[in-house]
Amino acid sequence: MVVQIWSALQAVLNGLLTGALYAIVGMGMALIFGVMRIVNFAHGAFMMLGMYATYVLFEKLHVNPYFGFLAAAAILFVLGYATYEGLLRRIADRSDFMQILLTLGISLIITDGVQLIFGADYHQISIPLLDINVKLGPHISLNAPWLLSFAITVVLATGMFLFVMKSRLGRALRAIAQNRYAASLMGIDVMRVQALSFGLGLAAVGAAGGLLLPVFYLYPTAGDQFTLKAFVIVVLGGMGSVGGAAIAGLVLGVIENLTSLYWGNEWALVVDFIVFLLVLSLRPSGLFGSQRV
Amino acid sequence: MTRQRTLIAVAAFALCMLVPLFVHQDYQLNVLFRLFLFAALSLAWNLVGGYAGQLSLGQAAFFGCGAYGLVLFNEKLGVPIPIAFALGVVIAVGAAFLIGRVAFRLRGPYFALSTIAFAEVLRISAKNLTSITGGDVGVQAPALFGSDPSRWFYWSAVLLTAAAFAITVWIARSRFGYWLQAIREDEDTALACGIDAAGTKLRALMISAALSAIGGGLYASLFYFIVPDQVLGLDISNQIAIAGMLGGAGTLTGPIVGAVLLESANELFKNLFHEAHLLIYGVLIVLVVLFLPEGIVGTLGRLWRRRTQRA
Amino acid sequence: MIRPSWLSRTLLLALVVGAACKGGDEGKPAASNTFRIGVVTSLTGSQAAFGQAHKNGYSVALAEINAKGGVHGKQIELVYYDDQSKPDQAVQGVAKLVDQDHVPLILGGFSSENTRAMIPAVTAKKVPLIMPTATADNVMETGSTWVYRICGGSSSYAGATVGFLKETGAKTIAIVYENTNFGQANAKAMKELAAGAGMSVIDEEAYQANSPDYKALLQRVKSNNPDVVYFASYLIDATTLMRQSAQVGLNPKYVTSAGTGFAAPEFPTEKQAGKYAEYTYSVSQWMATSKYPGSKEFDAAFTKLSGAHPAYHGMEAYATLVVAADAINRAKTEDSAAISEAIRATKLTTPFGPIEFDAKGQNPHQILITQVQGGQYKVVWPGDQAEAKPVPTPAWDDRH
Repeated sequence: MVVQIWSALQAVLNGLLTGALYAIVGMGMALIFGVMRIVNFAHGAFMMLGMYATYVLFEKLHVNPYFGFLAAAAILFVLGYATYEGLLRRIADRSDFMQILLTLGISLIITDGVQLIFGADYHQISIPLLDINVKLGPHISLNAPWLLSFAITVVLATGMFLFVMKSRLGRALRAIAQNRYAASLMGIDVMRVQALSFGLGLAAVGAAGGLLLPVFYLYPTAGDQFTLKAFVIVVLGGMGSVGGAAIAGLVLGVIENLTSLYWGNEWALVVDFIVFLLVLSLRPSGLFGSQRV
Repeated sequence: MTRQRTLIAVAAFALCMLVPLFVHQDYQLNVLFRLFLFAALSLAWNLVGGYAGQLSLGQAAFFGCGAYGLVLFNEKLGVPIPIAFALGVVIAVGAAFLIGRVAFRLRGPYFALSTIAFAEVLRISAKNLTSITGGDVGVQAPALFGSDPSRWFYWSAVLLTAAAFAITVWIARSRFGYWLQAIREDEDTALACGIDAAGTKLRALMISAALSAIGGGLYASLFYFIVPDQVLGLDISNQIAIAGMLGGAGTLTGPIVGAVLLESANELFKNLFHEAHLLIYGVLIVLVVLFLPEGIVGTLGRLWRRRTQRA
Repeated sequence: MIRPSWLSRTLLLALVVGAACKGGDEGKPAASNTFRIGVVTSLTGSQAAFGQAHKNGYSVALAEINAKGGVHGKQIELVYYDDQSKPDQAVQGVAKLVDQDHVPLILGGFSSENTRAMIPAVTAKKVPLIMPTATADNVMETGSTWVYRICGGSSSYAGATVGFLKETGAKTIAIVYENTNFGQANAKAMKELAAGAGMSVIDEEAYQANSPDYKALLQRVKSNNPDVVYFASYLIDATTLMRQSAQVGLNPKYVTSAGTGFAAPEFPTEKQAGKYAEYTYSVSQWMATSKYPGSKEFDAAFTKLSGAHPAYHGMEAYATLVVAADAINRAKTEDSAAISEAIRATKLTTPFGPIEFDAKGQNPHQILITQVQGGQYKVVWPGDQAEAKPVPTPAWDDRH
């Protein structure tokens, strides 16, 4: 019985560690979806780009991924801004269909493009930190890279939250999320702010990718699973709520790990989707959101 | 439909049915089968995605229900083939009912995402419940046609496409279709006019599911063997929706055009571009969205209308 | 007024049907001076790396056989069909190779599900199929008389592992497998055979491949305290699972596996599991250090062609083509039925090992058990092939 409690606790802790990364991915999606109502099916593909960027920096310039992720974030910001200006802006007033379709197309281009350039092979990096496990008593063991990325994501998440709540740009974002036309009447350059927030959303996802790289592996379709998880997180946390997405990411990580522990790893993804459907049916505004669905 | 158009449709249908007189090889007939199958699936998608304006990205759920229904009822429970086939369709319609009840309360992107979620739940469950579905080890499908199967499958696919087309025409011109389009244009106003939005959308989804399930059963039998990723996968749902949008959602012939183009491109690119074919696919989608938002048929129709109006 | 959408649709259809017919006519009749053999494998898609290994193995064999004069005085021509790692494309491949390219014999596919899908097709078209790598047991249970498999199947993987473990007295086993055809087939085989060796299966864990975190799963396994863990994993997951086993503190007496990831050349290297791979056991179809004549030469030729050492997939492809050429030479005529009969009567020694087909078409290939010792794979079972003795597995905390 005691062993079972420790097992569950271990699973919860591991879930929080994984969930922190989910939180960043979800917050990026919350910025994009919540503010711009863009259904970004390319979210995971961009995350994969962040992973590749960090990988290349590690392999060629020996930049530690725990610094490299910042570079990945910067690159993804620029890419996001450019993608918005170049492609998404043109269909900003068209239907959701078209956005979904466009981001799907972009996702295919990115994924296949990376495969053509880098090949379909799996890559993995090896840093000494991977072998270190922090032991909390005889029953709990936490892997060091995950702890480090947890610490970093807490800082990132807090930063993003404060930015959205306190800064001028953040206020502009929230204004647009509430009512686009009114916001433009208030003198906000809607297009520019949206481009910036798309860039920021992708920067977040790129950072998450960089942090994930040491503990995961790299291949062209590595990001795909995260696109759908990001949607689940955003829905769970509540539309347009960046803070909500952070909490929801943590919750999802814990739910997945507990599912793995009690039912088996193969059901974890199904539980993600069931959570998604339950939230949409029973509490569409999510845990913290206020927008109508 | 005007008499002229009806004649063209019938002539085209007859032409397609005569093809096996000239084409004999299994490989070619199979390629054409896939073409017509996807045309039928896109037409089925179009009822919900085009006419009702609800982007469904989970059609694979119904397709897979049809496939697994036929295979499991026949292989595992010994039910005779025609009944197993019908049961697969019934299950798909049931799934549509369930999905619709939950998802149609949601608007726009939430609906699309929930259709994906449903299809994925089905796919992963099929993978995990190996004692029932055989999981990834797969199950063999019964043979629907004994001798010369490729021909019969081809004809079945053409018939299915014709049926889907006929249903689309009937819906488009009927009051039911009018309701669907009203919902698409402005659901709140439609509700205010007394249209039962939820029920109408649900019925459209159920018809769409039935057609897709028939396609699923045919596909399973032709390719002998099914695994969850093959018949319940996201890429099938995507391909169906993309074909519909490429050709023109909400038009009569758009999905057929879209499916034909996409499948032909697939076949061509497979040999010419190998690994790059997904990239080309993606570029194609981006170009169509940016420059041909109403799809090919939609854009052509609009240009034609403009020309005739000027005169 | 005929609207352009209708016109365009009709024209488009006519175009496509025409194109399909025309495209079909590219099936030229076999040139009189080459002998065509069809090959279905996964050159693109998720299995592309393995399909490429096939191609390299076939190429080495092709060069050797053609240098010796080919078959029936003609050079062999391999006609490849890429199934894109999808089962329905593999079925299409059979149709194209037989109907358009008129091959009397097909080699392939790579994965078990693609191969399994092809069997009804080759049976209907009455063309023999020689399978190099499909290990799932269901490919040999269809009752078709046109299929032959040169590699050992998942039941022989489980059989070899169980045979090795019987000598050790282990009593309990946990099976951890990926939730795909490969994993499910191997898990099923081990479940069925473990009981026969006096071992009870106390835990079965399926996982979603390519996940970042298996710690919860490994915790569950640990809490059951098995003597043996049997993994069915590809390379990436093999690495993750071993690393996270150390983090979780899972210490069975024997870590065994159904090959593939745990038998990959890169697995014990620093780039993958490195020291976490040490002491793990795996099944193997073939090693370059194997005692069969020609192994080292094949290893050298393959490395020269592709720049990397062959895993057993390349060897299997090589052996498959060698078997095919030998059968064609012995066949009375050049049609499929005669070739199939000749394959059935095969009795060859190859670098892969001796090859002979039983009544079902299976070659009773001897599976080896290897252990990673000092970063190298060493054969430890069966006795007559062993090059080292098995080393007991120390607990993670006791390792340096």
